[in-house]
Amino acid sequence: MKRIARYLEHWIHDWYRIFVRELKHIFSDSGVLVIFFLACLVYPVLYGLIYSKGTLDNMPVAVVDMSGSHASRKFVRGLDATRELEIRYSCRDMSEAGRLMRDRKVNGIVLIPSDYGEDLASSRQAGISLYADMSSFIYYKNLTTGVNMVMLDEMHDIQRERLTASGYDSRLAEQFISPIRYEDNMPYNRALSYSVFFMSAILLIIIQQTMFFGISMLSGTMREEHRSFAVLPDSLKGRGISRTVLGRGAAYWLIYAAISIYVAILAPRMTGMPQNCPTGDILVLLAFFVSACVVFSFTFSTLIRHRETVFVIFLLMSVVCLFLTGFSWPEHSFPAFWKYFSWLFPSTFAVRAFMNMNTAGAGLAMAEPQLTALTIQIIVYYILSCIAAAVENRILKKDTDTQYSTLSGFAAHSRNAV
Amino acid sequence: MNTPGKIKAVLRRELRLMRQRPVYLIASVGVMAFCMIFFLTLLRDRIPHDLPIGVVDLDGTSLSRNLVRQMDATRIGRTVSFTSYTQARQAMQTGKISAFCIIPEHFYDDVLAFRQPVLTFYVNTLYFVGGALSYKDLLTLANLSSGAVQRELLRARGMDEQSIMAQIQPIVTEAHNIGNPAADYRAFLCGALIPGVLETITILVTVYALGSELKYGTSRHLLEKAGGSMSAAVAGKLIPYTVLFTSLGIISTVIMYVFMGFPFAGSLWHMFAGIFAMVLASEAVAVFIIGTLPVLRLAISISALYSMLAFSLTGFSLPVEAMPSCFQGLAAAFPLRHYYLMYASEGIFDAGFGGWYMHLASMLLFLFLPATVLKRLHGAYMNLNFPRK
Repeated sequence: MKRIARYLEHWIHDWYRIFVRELKHIFSDSGVLVIFFLACLVYPVLYGLIYSKGTLDNMPVAVVDMSGSHASRKFVRGLDATRELEIRYSCRDMSEAGRLMRDRKVNGIVLIPSDYGEDLASSRQAGISLYADMSSFIYYKNLTTGVNMVMLDEMHDIQRERLTASGYDSRLAEQFISPIRYEDNMPYNRALSYSVFFMSAILLIIIQQTMFFGISMLSGTMREEHRSFAVLPDSLKGRGISRTVLGRGAAYWLIYAAISIYVAILAPRMTGMPQNCPTGDILVLLAFFVSACVVFSFTFSTLIRHRETVFVIFLLMSVVCLFLTGFSWPEHSFPAFWKYFSWLFPSTFAVRAFMNMNTAGAGLAMAEPQLTALTIQIIVYYILSCIAAAVENRILKKDTDTQYSTLSGFAAHSRNAV
Repeated sequence: MNTPGKIKAVLRRELRLMRQRPVYLIASVGVMAFCMIFFLTLLRDRIPHDLPIGVVDLDGTSLSRNLVRQMDATRIGRTVSFTSYTQARQAMQTGKISAFCIIPEHFYDDVLAFRQPVLTFYVNTLYFVGGALSYKDLLTLANLSSGAVQRELLRARGMDEQSIMAQIQPIVTEAHNIGNPAADYRAFLCGALIPGVLETITILVTVYALGSELKYGTSRHLLEKAGGSMSAAVAGKLIPYTVLFTSLGIISTVIMYVFMGFPFAGSLWHMFAGIFAMVLASEAVAVFIIGTLPVLRLAISISALYSMLAFSLTGFSLPVEAMPSCFQGLAAAFPLRHYYLMYASEGIFDAGFGGWYMHLASMLLFLFLPATVLKRLHGAYMNLNFPRK
């Protein structure tokens, strides 16, 4: 009993010492502080401001109305009234409109051919041509959405006129025009705003990546200075891996408890992002996510031998992780290899759970698959980081031992020589 | 020693350093290769297809089943059946399906009796491409099924097919997607992201190369080789990287637009000039960062923060016009933004020299940046008076 108590006392004492030492390391390193605090403080707000609107309203469009009929003018007025489009120029011909598009004065052209009005009047199908600037998909989406909405309205008006002209009463005409009606619901993000897609994904990526970079910078520095956190005091006889990993981990956990609350809860509130989930649920998710990030970063920072190389080599992994969350290209269309690869990163699961919870209002219970995945990551990466620390301890110890034995051998040799 | 001789001496020294430290090649060639493989294979479908779309068929008649079959037949979607709204909603909230549609009870009967039944769609708008495409798919389907009913009615009245079409769909649109006819999402995204990767690599590696002279205290040796001339030292150090980054840019462009057949309207040779200008501009930014902050650890952190912002402020995802005006101005501070504008002008519109010369000129304007800090960096190299840790 006493032995267990003494062991526990030692354990807690060591753990606490390592925990405090790690905090001191963190706060005495300006580069790490820039990454932990400046990046985490500034980025969420900066992105929040950049994407504050998230939609492109009144995109400039040129119209070439060759028809000049009543019907075509009505169509053009309809386009101008949409949220998506604004008729900035009326051109005489396509070459003029094409020039405007090349000069980037407009992002789309709507061409109404000369026989448009006549075709409609004589009950033939009338055609309209669209030319979209594909340098951004939002231009394309705006043009097709705007034109399609106006086209559907116009079509119904035309059908209504024709039916009334051929003697239908208005109720019958309505029944013929839409025998099947539809009602579209786009909960969470009515306007398909880019900010909702992007912000829900990027916030947790910021947490994971800054932590990984910070931890790697610190352990890289230690390795450069030939003192590693993995070197255990001799008194521990090679044991004590868990208190080293848990002691260091607690330091980051503590700092990121604060940072992640700011990044994932306060910053979205400041920039007016939707928050449809009780804060308590988000806190639980963050607890899982931050724990997974700590051991994930411990495991992979083993690869970093020099402080700055982590940025030079791994900075672009942030973009890769962002795409692996499936916020843009759907997860269902991932090739199998990248799907499995995405399982390496805590962000993959946490971002999906965060989107579902924070934006779609799914409860914590519905995030069970992601929480399970994060738990598995915590266990696996904890074991891996312990193994990494143990191996590094052994290698470093062996190095110093051999150095010591060569030194003593050399000393003996010189004594003999003397 | 004359200037070319000095530059040559520094260049030889730099090539030796690059051989000794593998980090330079891993960070440039390795990272570029990984990113190319990642984005080109991740988006290999070009346009997503077979997105899971839920159906709650409360009618269960031949008409509703036919509707479900049609949904399955579209390229974009494949259907997943649910028995209740709650089930389908939960599947959508957990991201399992990208949209769902409810076919109401008595759907068939209501259609026959002209009671105008309502199909209800719910679209998962949390995921950008998936959400937008499934929405489009469902809308098309709803309009098509209305059209099918109208067609039956008109046929029964003995109308010929051509007049039927003119009656059901009086207006048709024909879309021309300038610069990317098939709306290939991969070509669009890689065309913008890969140059971004190149810019990031250029800035980070240049800052690292110049900053590690300070960190390892080798800067005096460098200046000695350069005969005391700071510009010869910087030129000699950056020549091998300029060649390396420009070749990486050209190779990746050739892979995308020649081997993979991404659409490109203009001349690739013009883009090669653009890549060269972007590499030079990014190096200039890097020299400016390390010159202003001659401490490697800080400079590299700042470069990382700067280059990540470039991806957003370039405006290929959300156009710059849709950002608050202060950020529209800030976007000009990134070489990538000017490169992207040049690409749009040449690759999308084939606008020629007149279309892109100002974007090229804007990139070259960045070359004035190093002049402002060269003296400061020289001082740091000579005196090593900034904290090295």
